[in-house]
Amino acid sequence: MAGNVIEFRHISKSYDETQVLKQIDFEIEAGKFYTLLGPSGCGKTTILRMIAGFLQPTAGDILFEGQRVNDLPANRRQVNTVFQDYALFPHLNVAQNVAFGLEIKKVAKGQIAQKVEEALRLVQLSGYGNREISELSGGQKQRVAIARAIANEPKVLLLDEPLSALDHKLRKEMQSELRSLQRRLGITFIFVTHDQEEALAMSDQIFVMNAGKILQSGTPVDIYDEPINHFVADFIGESNIIPGKMKADYVVSFDGHEFDCVDAGMKQNEPVEVVIRPEDLDITAANTGQVNVTVDTQLFRGVDYQITAHDVNDNEWKINSIHKTTVGQLVGLAFDPEDIHVMRYGEDEATFDARLERYE
Amino acid sequence: MKSKTAYLTPYFLWIALFVIAPMALILYQSFFSITGHFTFGNYEQYLSSGVYLKMTVNSIWYAFIITVLALLVSYPTAYLINHLKNKQLWLLLIILPTWINLLLKTYAFIGLFSQNGSINDFLRFVGLGSHQILFTDASFIFVATYIEIPFMILPIFNALDELNPSLVNASRDLGASAWQTFRRVIFPLTMPGVKAGVQAVFIPSLSLFMITRLIGGNRVITLGTAIEEHFLVTQNWGMGSTIGVILILAMFVVMFLTRDRKNKGGQIR
Amino acid sequence: MKRDHPIRWSNLYLLLVFIVLYLPIIYLIIYSFNAGDTMDRITGFSWRHYLTLFADTRMISIVLNTVIIAVLSALLATIIGTFGALGIDQLKKRSLQNGILSLNNVLMVSPDVIIGASFLIFFTFLGVKLGFGSVLLSHIAFSVPIVVLMVLPKIKDMSQTMIDAAYDLGATKWQTLTRVILPAITPGIFAGYFMAFTYSLDDFAVTFFVTGNGFSTLSVEIYSRARQGIDLEVNALSTLMFLVSLLLVGGYYLLNRYNEKKKIHRAKASQEVDDA
Repeated sequence: MAGNVIEFRHISKSYDETQVLKQIDFEIEAGKFYTLLGPSGCGKTTILRMIAGFLQPTAGDILFEGQRVNDLPANRRQVNTVFQDYALFPHLNVAQNVAFGLEIKKVAKGQIAQKVEEALRLVQLSGYGNREISELSGGQKQRVAIARAIANEPKVLLLDEPLSALDHKLRKEMQSELRSLQRRLGITFIFVTHDQEEALAMSDQIFVMNAGKILQSGTPVDIYDEPINHFVADFIGESNIIPGKMKADYVVSFDGHEFDCVDAGMKQNEPVEVVIRPEDLDITAANTGQVNVTVDTQLFRGVDYQITAHDVNDNEWKINSIHKTTVGQLVGLAFDPEDIHVMRYGEDEATFDARLERYE
Repeated sequence: MKSKTAYLTPYFLWIALFVIAPMALILYQSFFSITGHFTFGNYEQYLSSGVYLKMTVNSIWYAFIITVLALLVSYPTAYLINHLKNKQLWLLLIILPTWINLLLKTYAFIGLFSQNGSINDFLRFVGLGSHQILFTDASFIFVATYIEIPFMILPIFNALDELNPSLVNASRDLGASAWQTFRRVIFPLTMPGVKAGVQAVFIPSLSLFMITRLIGGNRVITLGTAIEEHFLVTQNWGMGSTIGVILILAMFVVMFLTRDRKNKGGQIR
Repeated sequence: MKRDHPIRWSNLYLLLVFIVLYLPIIYLIIYSFNAGDTMDRITGFSWRHYLTLFADTRMISIVLNTVIIAVLSALLATIIGTFGALGIDQLKKRSLQNGILSLNNVLMVSPDVIIGASFLIFFTFLGVKLGFGSVLLSHIAFSVPIVVLMVLPKIKDMSQTMIDAAYDLGATKWQTLTRVILPAITPGIFAGYFMAFTYSLDDFAVTFFVTGNGFSTLSVEIYSRARQGIDLEVNALSTLMFLVSLLLVGGYYLLNRYNEKKKIHRAKASQEVDDA
């Protein structure tokens, strides 16, 4: 397993009575951009702090390049962190902040200056070395925090919701910058966020977490198109989730009708949930689509209209459409078999992956 | 774990030697007579002789007057300074006199108040004739109040300074007059500052002894004067300690009365 | 226009307060140049009392004693108090922290006479000879809690992630302390030292109890001289002390203003770079 830089084996963490991590297992390959995604309190930051060395697991092993590092203190691990509040040292200027880790390692003076310059150049802050931290804007502090971490040339860079304090525009900018920085440096990034859009935009691999467990891991496209369960479908993007029944392989029934789909490997008449993304629904004239719905609300969002509607069974539908409609109007909804994704209740990730493997 | 105790060693040693030991010793000493025998006599004497009780009541009364006067002068001063343009500079000017040694300021008043001093010159000039000012109760109260005023202004100023100005605007916006705003919003919110000021003034006023000697001319005897007298003049440490214990009790009462009631939840500040 | 009135009254009130606050000090200063020997009547201008002061070796040695005690006691109290505050912050249990802080504050709220009297009993009990040593120990003792109270909020304000960041970047515990924690709380440490220094300079009551016969500080000396009546040499001394205080305060204020201006200026400059 030469490609794995970090491995978690059966990691649990408890504080007194409460278990914050339950039997976590995962492998992190070198050179990729990973995102731990989940709502606050799901345990994602706990995992990050364990990798950094600020927390020890209650049970299980943390492996760094194949070596068990459970008891290695933070200051001796080859990982660096970009903290949520940046945690820049206010008594040092920009260059001194970036040089901190190198000075601790007793790198030669000339080399330090060169590495600091290089790190600042990478985050587009060349020439800011003599600035005081208090003189920087939020975005600049962010960049200094990144420069300080990468100056140490860590094997893994940990980012703890680093963009959460920035405004929308700056956040978008930093997302693409971080992504290209990771590609250029070629080191592993582990990024923690609760923002699904951010996760989808930046990552090679996403771990979706909830309540101390990793629910699903995969590429952004996999997770978006084939969420494992209700929580993931709901948390990642917008979705219509309707209860249904699996009639046979590739046939599912919901809303009183049977539809063709692309899912298989389930029991006959197994109760399931069906996911259809709002942007996959097309609005047609009444009775010409697969379902008829009555429009309840309509919001213009610039690129499209966000429409909510209900069908005769009182299921609520969200539709994103570039065409305008009228509130109170009866319209048809059209979708293709590929737009339907069927989820089983309580299926774990291993079974889910195995099932998909069989028929894809 | 080891470094944690190493950090604290000198500090804990300080607490043990200079906080706990002296307080314990003063309590211990209060049970000994002037001849060195264990006795409850000091407390008996304190409670039965009218002299000590009267002195205690007097001392509390004076401290009360000094505190009230200081508060009456300080609150408007702090309030007005808080509205000035360079308020930090003005505050600094209030604090500046506290940097002058207490004894020097007291000493100045000896000159000002003396029979031929400037105050009497002024009184004669306006035709009021000269008066005995030095060595009166009034002069003692005046000088003590003078000394304590900056210590009252400072916490009140800080409380006013921390007050969010939009609260005042909100109150005015809701129809309160300037006076109503003061009474219902500003004063209640600066109460912690007033309490801190009262604490900072009342307790020291109970125990001032050099001002009673230099300005009060031994006419005013406070608890502080009595303690000094017993320790350094009559060498009756037992009785001095007994009065000390009384003073400590008085201190706890004041602290209890001026405690911050909102801070029950065990917060540090 | 109507608003002008109350403001003028309030200015008058403030003026009065300031006059009363500074009257004794100005009075002392004026009479320090009196050719005569009393604070009753100015008989002419003279440097006489300053010359007496500079020739008074006893007074000068007492001033030196006072300064030495202040510098040393503030230094030692700052060291003990800073490490004490760091230690208190490390304690996990909130109740234990609060308990220690209560003990810490005992000397802050105790009246001077109580501190003086109890220290006198303490030193006598241990057989410590009264003099320089007992005065120094007492001054350290009553300065420690001030330092703790000045430093502890700075420690509490310090973000935990900053310390994590230091470890994360490879610093050991010691390096984190010396390179991150101590610099971050330096303003608190300086403020603590400064307060301890002024407390020591200003103290009369505690020193009066524990000083014994041979050793004297300025406050005690002025007290004994004042009990004997007016001595304009004391006026000369107070004038000099006032000037020193004024210089210190003025310098401190200007330095603060300068730093703040510089900060604002540079912050503006970087803002402009951002916008460009």
